[in-house]
Amino acid sequence: MAQQPSPRAGLIDMGDTTTFFRDTRHEPHRRATAEAPWVRRLLITGALSFLGIFLGMPLVSVFAEGLKKGLGFNFHTFLDPQTLSAIKLTFIVAGISVPLNCVFGVAAAWAITKFDFRGKNLLITLIDLPFSVSPVIAGLIYVLLFGAPGPFGTWLSDHNLKIIFAVPGIVLATTFVTFPFVARELIPLMQAQGRTEEEAARVLGASGWQTFWRVTLPNIKWGLLYGVILCNARAMGEFGAVSVVSSHIRGETITIPLQIEILYNDYNTAGAFALASLLAFLGLVTLVLKTWIERKKAAALRAAEMDLIT
Amino acid sequence: MSVEVRNITKRFGKFTALDNLNLKIESGELVALLGPSGSGKTTLLRIIAGLEFPDPGAGQVLFYGEEVTNLPASERKAGFAFQHYALFRHLNVFENIAFGLRVLPRSKRPKEPEIRERVEKLLKLIQLDAHGKRFPTQLSGGQRQRVALARALAVGPKVLLLDEPFGALDAKVRKELRRWLRQLHEEIHVTTLFVTHDREEALEVAGRVAVLRDGRIEQVGTPEEIYDRPASAFVYDFLGNVNLFHGQPHGGSVKIGDTEYAVTEKGGPLETPAVAFVRPHDIRISREPGGHATLAARVIRCNTAGPSAHLELRRLDNDGWFEVQLSKEQFNELQLNTGDQVYVELRNVRVFPEDYSI
Amino acid sequence: MASKNFRVLPGFRLTLGYTLLYLSLIVLIPLAGVFVKTSTLSWEQFWHIVTAPRALASYRLSFGASFLAALVNVFFGIMVAWVLVRYEFFGKKIVDALVDIPFALPTAVAGITLTALYVPNGWIGQLLAPMGVQVAFTQLGVFIALTFIGLPFIVRTVQPVLEDFDPEIEEAAASLGANRWQTFRRVILPMLFPAMLTGFSLAFARALGEYGSVIFIAGNMPGKTEITPLLIATKLDQFDYAGATALAVVMLVGSFAILLTVNLLQWRSSRHLARV
Repeated sequence: MAQQPSPRAGLIDMGDTTTFFRDTRHEPHRRATAEAPWVRRLLITGALSFLGIFLGMPLVSVFAEGLKKGLGFNFHTFLDPQTLSAIKLTFIVAGISVPLNCVFGVAAAWAITKFDFRGKNLLITLIDLPFSVSPVIAGLIYVLLFGAPGPFGTWLSDHNLKIIFAVPGIVLATTFVTFPFVARELIPLMQAQGRTEEEAARVLGASGWQTFWRVTLPNIKWGLLYGVILCNARAMGEFGAVSVVSSHIRGETITIPLQIEILYNDYNTAGAFALASLLAFLGLVTLVLKTWIERKKAAALRAAEMDLIT
Repeated sequence: MSVEVRNITKRFGKFTALDNLNLKIESGELVALLGPSGSGKTTLLRIIAGLEFPDPGAGQVLFYGEEVTNLPASERKAGFAFQHYALFRHLNVFENIAFGLRVLPRSKRPKEPEIRERVEKLLKLIQLDAHGKRFPTQLSGGQRQRVALARALAVGPKVLLLDEPFGALDAKVRKELRRWLRQLHEEIHVTTLFVTHDREEALEVAGRVAVLRDGRIEQVGTPEEIYDRPASAFVYDFLGNVNLFHGQPHGGSVKIGDTEYAVTEKGGPLETPAVAFVRPHDIRISREPGGHATLAARVIRCNTAGPSAHLELRRLDNDGWFEVQLSKEQFNELQLNTGDQVYVELRNVRVFPEDYSI
Repeated sequence: MASKNFRVLPGFRLTLGYTLLYLSLIVLIPLAGVFVKTSTLSWEQFWHIVTAPRALASYRLSFGASFLAALVNVFFGIMVAWVLVRYEFFGKKIVDALVDIPFALPTAVAGITLTALYVPNGWIGQLLAPMGVQVAFTQLGVFIALTFIGLPFIVRTVQPVLEDFDPEIEEAAASLGANRWQTFRRVILPMLFPAMLTGFSLAFARALGEYGSVIFIAGNMPGKTEITPLLIATKLDQFDYAGATALAVVMLVGSFAILLTVNLLQWRSSRHLARV
C-alpha cells in the first residue's frame, strides 16, 4: 500500500491504488494535448461548412453568373464605351491615389520609426482613423468641404472648377479610404528592422537620400509591395465613398464598381456580373500575390528580429 | 508509489532518444536523472508523465505495479513541473494552484471552502501566503517555480516529476531552491524524479542518481557510489573535472611513471590501450621521488586566486598536460614556483579502456 | 538621450512635416468639417434629426445586425482559426488564403453576388424558400452580408496567438488532470480573449459602416431594412446636408465609443498576459 501523504500538506487521499487506473493495455494512445478524432472531424466539418457557405458559394457564384452568357458577351460588355470609360477612370483614380498614399506611407513610417518624439502613438492612431469611418461618411466629408454647402463651394463654382461630382472628388475620396494601407504595413516592419543600418550608412558618409535608396528601400521592398497591392485592390473596388461624390453621370464620373451598380439596376444582370467577375478575378490575383509576398515579408521580418536578438 | 519503466524505446525519426531503457524507482525516493543534452532524460520524464508515449510495443510504464503505458497525462495523476514553469498567466497564484482541484470531475471535486483551505496550506508551504492574489508576471523566477510546484502538489499526486526545475534561475536562487526541495521532500515524501544536467545539483539533492547517455542508463546509484565508484569513463568525466593519463599497458595494468595501476573494469589482461582517470584534487605533489610519487613533471602555471590553488603541470616523459588542485596550506608548504620540477602521486585512479573520448 | 537638436538620421522635419500636412488635409480637416457643420445646428434641431423614427430604425438595424454578425464571426472565426492552426487536411493552404476573400473582393461585387445567391430562386435562396425563410430584402439578408465581410477579422487576429501558443501550458493543464474541453475553456480561451476582442471590434466597426455589400441584398425599405449609411447617402441625394451630417456625427461618435470601450477591455484583460 502506498505511503499515506502527510496530513500537514493537506493533500487528498486518493484511496486504494489497486483499482486506480483504467486498464488501457488495449486502447490506442494519443498525445496528451490532442482532441479525440471525432472532435477533430466535427470541428473541421463545421469550419469548412461555414467557409463553404459564406465564402465558397459567393466566389463560385460570381464566376458562374459572370460566364453564363459566355466570354464573347463579356468582351462585348467590356468594350462598351460606357464600361470602357469606367475602366479608364478606375485606373486613373487608382493611379493617383495609390502613389500618393505610398509616398505618405513611406514618409510617415520613416518619421515614426527612425525618430523618437512625443505623441507617436497618437499619430499612429490618427493614421488608422480612416479604417473606422464608413465609406459613405468618407464621401460626405468632401462634399461638405468642396461641395455647395462648403466653404469653397461658391469660390469653386465661380471659377468653374468642379471637385465634387467630378474626378478630383473621386480621387480625394479614394485617397481617404485607402489612406492607412501602406503606412500600417511599413511601420511594424521598419520598427522591427531598427535604425542601426541607416545609422551605419550615415557614419560612412551617405546622404539622407542615399541612405534611404540604398539601405532602407531594399529592406522594406516586400512590405511596401504588400501595402501597395492592398491599397490598389481597395482603390479599384471602392464603392460607397465614390458613390457619394460621383455625379452618377454615365460615361463621366463612373468607376467600375459604380458601373456594376448601373448595369445591375438596368436589369442587365449578365453585364453586371461580367464586370463583377472581372473584378473578382482581379481580387483573386491580389490574393495570390498577397500570399506570395506575405512569405517574403515574413522572412524579412524574421531576419530583422533575429538581428535584434543576437 | 513506485515507478518503473521497462524496455522503453523512443525514436524521433532517425534519432533514438531512448534505447531499451529500464529503471525502477521505489516509493518515496528522490531520484535525479542526470545527463548531457540529448541523453534522453527529458524524454524519459515526459514518457513517465504521459506527455509522450514510447514507440508502439516498445516498453511499459508502471505505477505501483499497474501498467499505465497508454494512459494519457490527464489520467495518470503525476505532478509535472516545467523548466519554464508554464504557469497560467491569466490566473493569479491562488487560482493557478487551485486549478487541478477545480478540474476534478464533479463527484471528486471538493467544495469551495475545502479548496481554499488546501490552497492556503500550500501557499504557506511554499512561503508565498501573502502573494495569493498576484499574477505570474509579477513574480520572480524562483517564486514562479515554487508556485508551479505547489500547483503540481495540490491534487495530491503519487509521483512528482520535475523537468530541470531550476535551470532557468540564477546560481544563488538555484542553491536556495535546491535546499528547499530537499526539505519539501522530507516533509511530504512524495516519490520525486527530477531531470538535470547539473551534476552538482544531482549529487547534492538526490537520494539516488541515474546517469543517462545516448538513451541508455550508464549507472544508477547513490551520489557517493557514482562519484567514488563510477562504472565507466563517461560517468567519471561527467561528474567532475578529470585528468587523463596515458601509460604503458603492462599485463593487467597500466604503467605511469614507475607505478602500475590496475584496470578497474572487469580485470584481466588489457586488450586495448587504457587510460587512467584522476581527479585534480587526488594528486599529491612532492619535491623528491619516493613511494608512489614516481611521475616526473614540471610546474607550468600556478593560480592561487580563490579558495584553493590550481596548478598546471606538464609530464616530463610525454609532455602530457594535467591539472592539480591543492589546498592553500599544501601549496604554501611546498613553496612551488613556475618551472619547478616535482614528482606526483596519483590516488583514486580509475583505469578505463581507451574507447571513450572527452 | 539624443539631444533634441541633433539627430543622426536626416529628414525628421521633412517627413514629419509632410506626414502631418497630408494627414491634416486628407483626414483631419475634412473629418472635423462634419462636427463644424453640425455645430451650426441648434441642439433641438440636431436632436430632432437624430431621433427621427426612420433614423432610429436604421440605428437598430445597423448596430444590431453588425453586433450579431460580429458575434457569429467570433464563434466561427475561432473555430476556423483553430482548425487552420491545429489540424492538417487536404487543401488547407488554399482555404487559409481564401479566408481573405472578403478583404480582396470589392464591396459592390460582394453585394450583387450575395443577392443573387439568396433571392428565392438563387442557389441558397431556393433551398430556404420551401421552409418559409426569406433572406434577400430582409434584415436577415443584412445580417448575412455583414457576416460575410467581417469573416476574416477574427480569424486573422486569433491565428497568430494560436500559432504562438506555448504547448507546455496545455501540457501543464493536462498533467493537472484537465480534459481537452476543460483545457480549452479554462486556459486557451481566456488567453485568446484579447485577440478575440480586437477581432470583434474590427469586424463590428467594419460592419457598421459597410455600404456596398449590403445595399443590394437589403431591400432598403425605410424603417425596416435601411441601414444608417444608406440613410445618410439618401439625405445627401436630397441635398439635406444638415440631416446627413447629423447622422454622420452619430455614427462617428458611436464607432469611436465602441473602439474606445474595446481598447479599454483589451488593455485590462491583457495586462497579465505579457510574454514572460
